[in-house]
Amino acid sequence: MVGAAEEAQLNRLENQVDNGGGGAWEYLCLVRKLKARRPDKVLKHGLSILNNPKARSNLGTEEWTLYEQVAIAAMDCQRVDIAKDCISVLSNKFPGSTRVGRLEGMLLEANGAWADAETTYRRLLEENPNDQVVQKRMIAMAKALGNISTAVEYLNKYLEIYMADQDAWRELAEIYVSLQMYKQAAYCYEELILCQPTVPLHHLAYAEVLYTMGGLENLQMAKKYYASAINFTGGKNTRALYGLCLCSVAINQITKGRNKEDKESPELQYLAAEALVKDYKEKAPAKLTLVTSTLKSMKLIS
Amino acid sequence: MAEDLVLDTAIRDWVLIPLSVVMVLIGVLRYFVSKLMRSSQLPDAKALKEGQVIIRARNLKSGANFIPSKSFRARRVYFTNEENGLLHVPKEQAQNAQAQMFSDPNMAMDMMKKNLSMLIPQSLTFAWVNFFFSGFVAAKIPFPLTQRFRAMLQNGIDLSSVDVSYVSSRSWYFLNLFGLRGFFSLILGEENAMDDTQRMMQMGGFGFDASRSLAAEKDSLDIIQHDWALPKIEHRAEQVLRKLLR
Amino acid sequence: MAVRDDPRSSEKKQSDDLQTFNAENLQSNMRSIYYSRTFLSIVGGVVAGIFGFTGLIGFVFYFVVMALASLGFAAKAKFSHCAYFDSWSRIVVDGFLGGLLSFVLFWTFAYDLVHIF
Repeated sequence: MVGAAEEAQLNRLENQVDNGGGGAWEYLCLVRKLKARRPDKVLKHGLSILNNPKARSNLGTEEWTLYEQVAIAAMDCQRVDIAKDCISVLSNKFPGSTRVGRLEGMLLEANGAWADAETTYRRLLEENPNDQVVQKRMIAMAKALGNISTAVEYLNKYLEIYMADQDAWRELAEIYVSLQMYKQAAYCYEELILCQPTVPLHHLAYAEVLYTMGGLENLQMAKKYYASAINFTGGKNTRALYGLCLCSVAINQITKGRNKEDKESPELQYLAAEALVKDYKEKAPAKLTLVTSTLKSMKLIS
Repeated sequence: MAEDLVLDTAIRDWVLIPLSVVMVLIGVLRYFVSKLMRSSQLPDAKALKEGQVIIRARNLKSGANFIPSKSFRARRVYFTNEENGLLHVPKEQAQNAQAQMFSDPNMAMDMMKKNLSMLIPQSLTFAWVNFFFSGFVAAKIPFPLTQRFRAMLQNGIDLSSVDVSYVSSRSWYFLNLFGLRGFFSLILGEENAMDDTQRMMQMGGFGFDASRSLAAEKDSLDIIQHDWALPKIEHRAEQVLRKLLR
Repeated sequence: MAVRDDPRSSEKKQSDDLQTFNAENLQSNMRSIYYSRTFLSIVGGVVAGIFGFTGLIGFVFYFVVMALASLGFAAKAKFSHCAYFDSWSRIVVDGFLGGLLSFVLFWTFAYDLVHIF
């Protein structure tokens, strides 16, 4: 995941290159390292380097990596012809290579020839059964074709072996949420929290799934995880604040009548509501009245 | 003789410097050769899975306090239960793993290649040094050592009254062998330093023994007490919000 | 989303009981310390040889150089060892003796080159 500092650096470089300053190659390297997806910029600047024979020869062996990067960006921008040229150059240089075979499969996907792409991938998997990227491409293809259940099946099989792959867990969690299989999604988010306990995004997502599942215990846990998301973002995450307010309202509704006071942090919801009001006052004063009336009806502010 | 010996500059030109240069070159050559010779091993699915299991178990250990205790316990059982837990390795299998390592031809070849690539240049260089550069004083080490080191450091020199600081070229060779390690790590970057001495020590054990690491992870998971950190975080969230609103 | 915007910081400390480490940064910090120490041992060895230190003085010089290096690392880490490493020993003690052999080699080399020959 890209941190704030790295994103700022990426944007800065992008601005610099866009406005004619040099540094296109550094920009492309950074994009590759951070796995950011900026196909239009990559295509534009990558092509300018590749079409300039002097710049191209300056790259030396990195030239082929650039071809790969530009090919993928071209496919993202639907410039299939450019992608085809790049891939043919690569396959001339590296005949029979798995990496180039992958690109050919992706080209077939971009052209819509799904069955051919699948045969290509299966062939690559036969030669190299443990190739992670090809397996992921098959999952992506199943998802793109709408075969969500196949995608889930493939993804589970993949995760049986590569169980430390965070991106796969995240993908699986999102698919489960889209299928409304919340318990399984919660499991995946727990895995993500285990891998990176201090990333607030996972806590937030987990809290949302718990809130959606409902039930007193889940709501109480959701409240705690919203609180932790607030903690890790310094109280600036609006969604977490809203989540906290809604959770506490829902909990109060369920425990109405039962004398179960939340002993741990009774003031949290009021503080969250106040923080929301303050946030809206600063950033979107036009909507402030709407927010205050809602919060008043939830009895979170007076 | 307590006086300083005067040594011929020819020794410096033709012994010290060439020996060091040769050793540096051999180290660099060996680095590149090992890079070229690295056989592209198709990773074994079982070994891959075990590696990933270990990573996942370690994540579970370090992040345990961030997930609810019910989930943690469920996961712990999943990993450590006696019948089909991921980390549980039945005893016969553990012993087989070692026997397998000997009989597996690929792994044996790899180990042999690694050992050879280390032994051959060393023994060749040593033989060369002994043949050409023995029988005279090669260098003076700037710190004194006791008489006991005389036999080790002054092999070719048959005079017993020479100060122990004056050493033969064989000891210069050994000094280079150990001292150039740090130098190599600087010029060759990161891991591929000439870690001869470390590899020699590692030859006793046999590299990556998965079953032992699995058992270790299992034990450490069994020990953990789950201490749910979320309530504390909730308190802290309150403080954060209070500070924000002040 | 970054809790601490310092790219090299290897620790995100929320409070005294919730310390988490960014393993990659920690390793890269330790590696830079290792490289610096190696480099300093080599340079220190050459300097000791040129100055003509013999015997114990040379070793004392080595320890002085290493101590200065530790001080330098601590200063570079802004004296808050928690932010960049998991314990004091990493900055001060680790790798102290690792450069000794390189130091001796280059010390001998320089000393011989300059003084004996």
